[in-house]
Amino acid sequence: MTYPLETRNLSFCYSQHSRLILDKINLRVELGQVLAIVGLSGSGKSTLCYCLSGIIPLVQQGEMWGQVLIKGSQTREMNLPTIATRVGIVFQNPETQIFFPTVEDELAFGPENLCIPQEEIGQRIEEGLRLVGMEAYRYMSPHHLSGGQKQLIALASVLTLKPEILIFDEAMSQIDKVGKQRIKEVILDLKKAGKSIIMVEHDLKNLDVADRILVLRQGRLEDFVGLF
Amino acid sequence: MLGYSDKQQAFIEVNKIAYTYPQGTQVILDMTTKFYPQQFTAIVGSNGSGKTTLGKLLAGIFKPTSGQVLIAGKLSTRLKLGEIGQKVGYLFQEPERQIFAPSVREEIGFVLNFRGVSEREIAEKVAKMLNLFHLAELKDEYPFRLSRGEKQRLALAAILVNEPIFLILDEPTTGLDLHRREELSQILQELKLQGLGLVVISHDEDFVNANADRVLEISGGEIIADQQLHPNDRGE
Amino acid sequence: MQTSSSTQTIEENELDPRSKLCIVFALSSVAVFVQKIWLLALILMLGMVLTYLLGENLHLFKRFGRIIWLFVGIAVIQSIFTPEGIPLIAIGKIRLLTVGGLEKGVCFLLRIMAIIVPASIMISTGTREIIQGLVQWKVPYEIAFMVSLAIRFLPLLSEEIKDTFIAIQLRGIELDKIPLGKRLRMYSYLFMPVLSGVILKARELSTAMETRAFRAFPRRTSYRVLKLQNQDYLVMGMSLCFVIVVLTINFYYKGGF
Repeated sequence: MTYPLETRNLSFCYSQHSRLILDKINLRVELGQVLAIVGLSGSGKSTLCYCLSGIIPLVQQGEMWGQVLIKGSQTREMNLPTIATRVGIVFQNPETQIFFPTVEDELAFGPENLCIPQEEIGQRIEEGLRLVGMEAYRYMSPHHLSGGQKQLIALASVLTLKPEILIFDEAMSQIDKVGKQRIKEVILDLKKAGKSIIMVEHDLKNLDVADRILVLRQGRLEDFVGLF
Repeated sequence: MLGYSDKQQAFIEVNKIAYTYPQGTQVILDMTTKFYPQQFTAIVGSNGSGKTTLGKLLAGIFKPTSGQVLIAGKLSTRLKLGEIGQKVGYLFQEPERQIFAPSVREEIGFVLNFRGVSEREIAEKVAKMLNLFHLAELKDEYPFRLSRGEKQRLALAAILVNEPIFLILDEPTTGLDLHRREELSQILQELKLQGLGLVVISHDEDFVNANADRVLEISGGEIIADQQLHPNDRGE
Repeated sequence: MQTSSSTQTIEENELDPRSKLCIVFALSSVAVFVQKIWLLALILMLGMVLTYLLGENLHLFKRFGRIIWLFVGIAVIQSIFTPEGIPLIAIGKIRLLTVGGLEKGVCFLLRIMAIIVPASIMISTGTREIIQGLVQWKVPYEIAFMVSLAIRFLPLLSEEIKDTFIAIQLRGIELDKIPLGKRLRMYSYLFMPVLSGVILKARELSTAMETRAFRAFPRRTSYRVLKLQNQDYLVMGMSLCFVIVVLTINFYYKGGF
């Protein structure tokens, strides 16, 4: 059986002589599932996100063993644009994920890169904004939005690439309570829409939307038993 | 009103301040309050409520457009940052902006060096901070390579080595996990017992509830609530 | 290219960003070459009028207050080293300010302003539109994006430098009490946070762009499409004429100063 996202004995270190950041990770994400991965800072959470989204090994250097499979294909044999249409990732810092003067430009960026025709880009922008409930902000400048709204725009800009899998790399850590609540609602909506979601977190309070929780401890993945 | 009688001298006094950014947006409307030694005040409010701006006004980084901020009895407009820095420690939201030296050890010690402290004394103080913040193993590491949480601890260590008598921390728990947050709590409580006054800007509710004596909630540039949490802890 | 049937063409009556770029380029480049003061003053005035007409406010202009001392300094230095003309202020035999020096100082100030002021024409034009203008001028899109993103992040960088400077003082260092040698050494410490900040931001930014399929193909489509209108051809033509006329006057008209 193929899973939307799967790792087999995934290990990683930055250079041959440094310690292992990830140590034989076996992970399976099922369709329409919200999987949370928690861990201390320095446990390898961000590195895992980079591996799952193909940034490692395609952009960042390092030694990666084992396999990361997106719908059965190995990331190391794919290119980043192809991965981008299957796996979307939202990062921690809203400031460095938003580049353009209007929300609309921001959402158009991804599909433009994929050479999608103009009309379809328009449809995707509408759909992306609808999914995060930000239709009213289409022509506004993202810089006037709150942190939580910026993260929703960052998410919407990833959604215009129509990925089936979404990764949230501590996407709520710089967001206030209201913003967090909105993002969690959107996560549940996306789940209903059939997307698979991985949220990497250090804040246990954000885990109420998760179907399954795993702990990353010193590069190893374990079941969550209430503490980490 | 807050159980802090005038017997105790406020360390920072805020008197009808307003602040408008040079581009014209007004972030602080009209605030009057006082901050005391041995008091842990949390400033809470949603993103964009003016928390960070208020913190910067308290530290004298920004000068109020109207009204006054008094730091240890002196007008913030009359004080140089260097003078303020000898009494007040300020932690920026982004730790990267305040890490200067090429190694963890040097980072903690270099300011003392500029201030003419003897080598031996510097070494002692640095060692103490390295232990306190669990950075001893990383002492020769290049700060740029540290994780966000480690950078945060380093920045705090480098501030505390100056032995400030008042601390202003902007979102100190960002990037810290539960354990590290717990440790930070302990360190801050310890400092409070030693007599420091603390202002912590945070949206981390658990951290605020666990630590603050007083919670100042701001919204739209105004104080909308000023609440004392543990009045009994201070024996009043 | 794509059809531009949708709503995404620029509003009517609004100049194409490329036309604006032409105006800026014409005014600024001419200001570099022109030697005559009256011509420089004329170019500056034209720049200000156009900026105003294109709906920008002359905010930038206020900032020149800060460089007024630089201008005085240059006038003085010019007067001391090239003492031409009648001395206006002199201490003993040293001429502190001469007519010639003053002239050169004014010339310098006018030139700087004439180069910078027209740039404010672009301020309210969105970066995405400017990029699109450049791309439709066949500038490779990678370059167009990178340049405009760099400009977008400049204010962030300057904020970072300011914060860093504040942070080091808040560690209790009184800059004016430190001897010069030590102070210079201290300034070298400022590089670290600024540089690491830039590298970190650049890395996060490029990762975010690549995970959104940037550089997937040698070409990309665009949701916004710019179309030149008659007025744009007119403006571009006039800009070119302007450059030719001004340069001709500058080089062949010998009268005046």
